[in-house]
Amino acid sequence: MSTATVVRTQHAAVRPTHRPGFTDLMRSEWTKLKSLRSTWWSLATMVLLSVGFSITACAVYSHDYPTLDPSTQTEFRADTIGLILQPGVEFAALAVCVLGVMLMTSEYSTGMIRATTLAAPKRTSALLAKAATFGGLIFVLSELVAIPSFLIGSAITSAHAHTSITDPTTIRAILAFGLYMAAMGLIALSIGTLVRHTAAGISIVLALQFVLPGVLSLIPGSVGQHISNALPSGASVIVSSGHNATDIYSPAQGLLILVAWTVVLGGAALATIKRRDV
Amino acid sequence: MTKTAANSTAPAIEARGLTKSYGKKTVVDGLNFQVHTGRVTGFLGPNGAGKSTTMRLLLGLERADSGEALINGRPYASLSAPLSHVGALLEAKAFHKGRSARNHLIALAQSQALPVRRVDEVLDVVGLHDVAKQRAGGYSLGMSQRLGIAAALLGDPRIVLLDEPVNGLDPEGVFWIRNLMKRLAGEGRAVLVSSHLMNEMAVTADHLLVIGKGRLLADCTTAEFIERHTDPAVYAATPAVARPALLEEAFMRLTAGAVEYSSR
Repeated sequence: MSTATVVRTQHAAVRPTHRPGFTDLMRSEWTKLKSLRSTWWSLATMVLLSVGFSITACAVYSHDYPTLDPSTQTEFRADTIGLILQPGVEFAALAVCVLGVMLMTSEYSTGMIRATTLAAPKRTSALLAKAATFGGLIFVLSELVAIPSFLIGSAITSAHAHTSITDPTTIRAILAFGLYMAAMGLIALSIGTLVRHTAAGISIVLALQFVLPGVLSLIPGSVGQHISNALPSGASVIVSSGHNATDIYSPAQGLLILVAWTVVLGGAALATIKRRDV
Repeated sequence: MTKTAANSTAPAIEARGLTKSYGKKTVVDGLNFQVHTGRVTGFLGPNGAGKSTTMRLLLGLERADSGEALINGRPYASLSAPLSHVGALLEAKAFHKGRSARNHLIALAQSQALPVRRVDEVLDVVGLHDVAKQRAGGYSLGMSQRLGIAAALLGDPRIVLLDEPVNGLDPEGVFWIRNLMKRLAGEGRAVLVSSHLMNEMAVTADHLLVIGKGRLLADCTTAEFIERHTDPAVYAATPAVARPALLEEAFMRLTAGAVEYSSR
């Protein structure tokens, strides 16, 4: 093949244009993220699940409104924003979680982690750059989903309840939608970093999101409910009005729960990636 | 991290008392050596001698229990744009199967603040430009090695580490890598290449580091090594031009006590 080529450009040695820093790592992670097909499949799934479940829930509840029992009707009116956005956020988080786990475990399964570590030997900065890039993308995309979801849901439910996009509670819930999705993505990324295997990582995330809440709520009394709702999935209460009488925690407490899980798992991931051989 | 530039008068690579154990097994045992620019240094040893582990210690992929591994006088992890100091082709693949060669290299270039045009340059050097937009998972072993070498050359590094680069390659691939290593050394770079193929090393390496059971057994030029470790009568009877062929015999004699598994 090309035996005549020279390894170095004849003119000048190749040098970094500047001392590489965190933004360069973020650009690199962004290239890595967008150049995999699985990223776009997962994100398309997320958008479909999110919008689909929001619209379905709104349509079903609005249609059945006259036949709902009075307490459900009260919930409907007290927490219309939660009715519109929560079904979407809970199911779409599944796609984000799978992507978050795979973002890291696929680096281990393919060997890419070695290239990543050679390029950024201070490993924590590479993980932080990945987290910032991925979390940022999910936040922005989720907001782009939340706004039309709300507008459509608001129109569907308008016969029985009034919601407005300029309402502070609505704005807070729409912002919380992106925050919840991004935090779920980061929790999944941390779990992927800790376990390093795709199947194990996805199993753990699914158990945390869909199995454990049901199991823990079986504990008798309100203790079970309090523990079950302190899981990351319970933090979806931040995407509600906070006026739903059946909610265990307030939106502010939900935010605390979400931040606590993100910080604790993220810290564990940063601590292990620093020590581990790759 | 007070120094910003690496020390250019330091040896390209230096190991000082480098030691690494897995459980009770000491894989790298107090290694001391230097690798210098302008020549190909062959890194030899029987299977399990600690070659790959030593390379991974030099690159900061593993942490040494004691001792130091220095690149241009500094630990790898303290280099701010490491790929501009060292390029490495590891034995195991180091790219994502689902990403194209070009995107893989662009991501690496961005992390080092290297211009993206450098990606096209190295793709030309390794001859992958025509398939650069295909998913790397579909590449043959030879193409995968070329992608690994493209990544190693990306930062125009002063030091190149190659771990078993010709394993499983066809004759054309072997020939290409052999000439590439000589060319890199000729450009004034330090090339450290591990192999267990003696005939390959005999025609490529100017200098040898030989290890067995994690310890340094020899550190000398290839010619000296052959002279010292072959049967003097055989050495004298062999014409000078054929002496590289004696490397295998010399290696066997030296490492006889250091092989992991042997039939007696």
